[in-house]
Amino acid sequence: MNILKLLADLAATTPDQFEQPAVRRDALNELGRFGAKTLAAALPLGLASVPALARDTRTILDSLLLALRLERLQNAFYTQALAAPATFFPADASIRASIVKIQAHQQQHATLLVRLISTSNGDVPALPRYDFTGSKNNTQAALFPSVFSNFDEFLRLAQLLEDTAVRAYKAMVEFLVQDNYILQTALQIHSTESRHASRIRTIRRQRGAVVKSWPSPADADITVANKTAVVYATEHATNQLLADYTSVPFRLLPIGSGPNLLTQSVPEAFDEPLAADSVDGLLNLFTL
Amino acid sequence: MSTFLSARAMQRRSFFRVAGATLATSTLVLAGCKDDEEPVTPVASNVLRLGVVTSASGAETVTQESQENGVLNYAYLLEQLEAAFYTQVVAAPPADLLSDELAYLTDLRDHELIHREYLKAALGASVYDASLSTPLKFNFSSFTLTTRVGVWTAAQQLEDIGVAAYNGAGKLLTVTTNLLALGKIASVEARHAALVHEVLQSDSFASTIGADGLDDAKTPTEVIELIKTLLPIEVSVAALPTA
Repeated sequence: MNILKLLADLAATTPDQFEQPAVRRDALNELGRFGAKTLAAALPLGLASVPALARDTRTILDSLLLALRLERLQNAFYTQALAAPATFFPADASIRASIVKIQAHQQQHATLLVRLISTSNGDVPALPRYDFTGSKNNTQAALFPSVFSNFDEFLRLAQLLEDTAVRAYKAMVEFLVQDNYILQTALQIHSTESRHASRIRTIRRQRGAVVKSWPSPADADITVANKTAVVYATEHATNQLLADYTSVPFRLLPIGSGPNLLTQSVPEAFDEPLAADSVDGLLNLFTL
Repeated sequence: MSTFLSARAMQRRSFFRVAGATLATSTLVLAGCKDDEEPVTPVASNVLRLGVVTSASGAETVTQESQENGVLNYAYLLEQLEAAFYTQVVAAPPADLLSDELAYLTDLRDHELIHREYLKAALGASVYDASLSTPLKFNFSSFTLTTRVGVWTAAQQLEDIGVAAYNGAGKLLTVTTNLLALGKIASVEARHAALVHEVLQSDSFASTIGADGLDDAKTPTEVIELIKTLLPIEVSVAALPTA
């Protein structure tokens, strides 16, 4: 945290908040109400106990809980895939090895998030159950009926989940700005998820799918309207706005790579955030 | 190097007004400083001081805004470096490049050029090289760019450094729109990095991921140390926020 940011917080903090217990351990435990003002720990002693503004607090915990939902679901998804018969996986052993790595990361992320939430006095929700066919236990038409028997179908859902994770963390980080430790942790998970998404996309391309290692308007569409289309909704933005809400004039810049520059390269060059309720909706398709 | 910079000495007045970064050079000091009231301290080398604002009178200050712009200028410098690298490689690809690999390199070049121009536009008048008519020339002589393995090994180093740099820079920002802007770029860099690893070695996409499943994060000081041989100038990040 920038010291000036902290001073701005101090200026906006009501006097009675200053009188709260001045023990850092207490501040750490207040995530549920005030947010882990943890990393104020690095600041001069008297400042470390100042709680974050309440408006930021709820959002930090909400973000951690959404992240946990995402990581638990992905962990269960890859764990189930790895339990499938060996013939489920392609002959190229490096592919299964990558799924093993990805599953391990998701499990580590979930464990880390549980630790962050529980040591800060947040309630860790019970582990949900999942149906990765998307049929909600055969109560509706399946979206991925062969997800653990058809490897390409599995990869399609893996790509959707990983790209969703990248977008979800990206949307979260702006709400974590008050807490350096959680912010940096979220950014490090964010890039891990991006590497996963890239690897899954590369495997799909090697297996003949029309897909780049980053979301591109040139990718073959693998989404279903009103179900999974949310994963790439607003992702292929051809326009990037500056602080004054004007567009970055890419058209005028000497970076021409042919006619696809504005319609393909610009959307590829930026991943877009995805709002929490959209992420929730996507996760709900597979959560019982 | 000094020839390159002295060519810009005539533009020193607007140069000095750049917020968020200042390039102090011996050339500039000797050729340009006519203010008798300001003591002249010769600078031994060409130094880009990210986060420092130099007024027209030569007074130097560090403000919150210049620190914020200093972080953005740091990202801009990294994007310039990557863009210059891929531009050079695409212009003269190694003879043993495999099919499809030139298409990858071309995509990477375009993305980095777009990132560079995006940050330049976002920084506006605060971009550190606003008054330079040509961009910094980076020195890629430490790389082997005549073989595909050399090219992809270099790309791997640059992409991994870029990802770690973005992961370490986010917390230095205070303006959420800037954080979001860097986040939009950071994940694309991580996607690049994973692809570049896979080109050379299958299943190597995660080689930078450590404990708790967290990808690497580096401070500006660590990053500048890693890329200093590629830079034609010395870069100081002493004025950037550290937390």
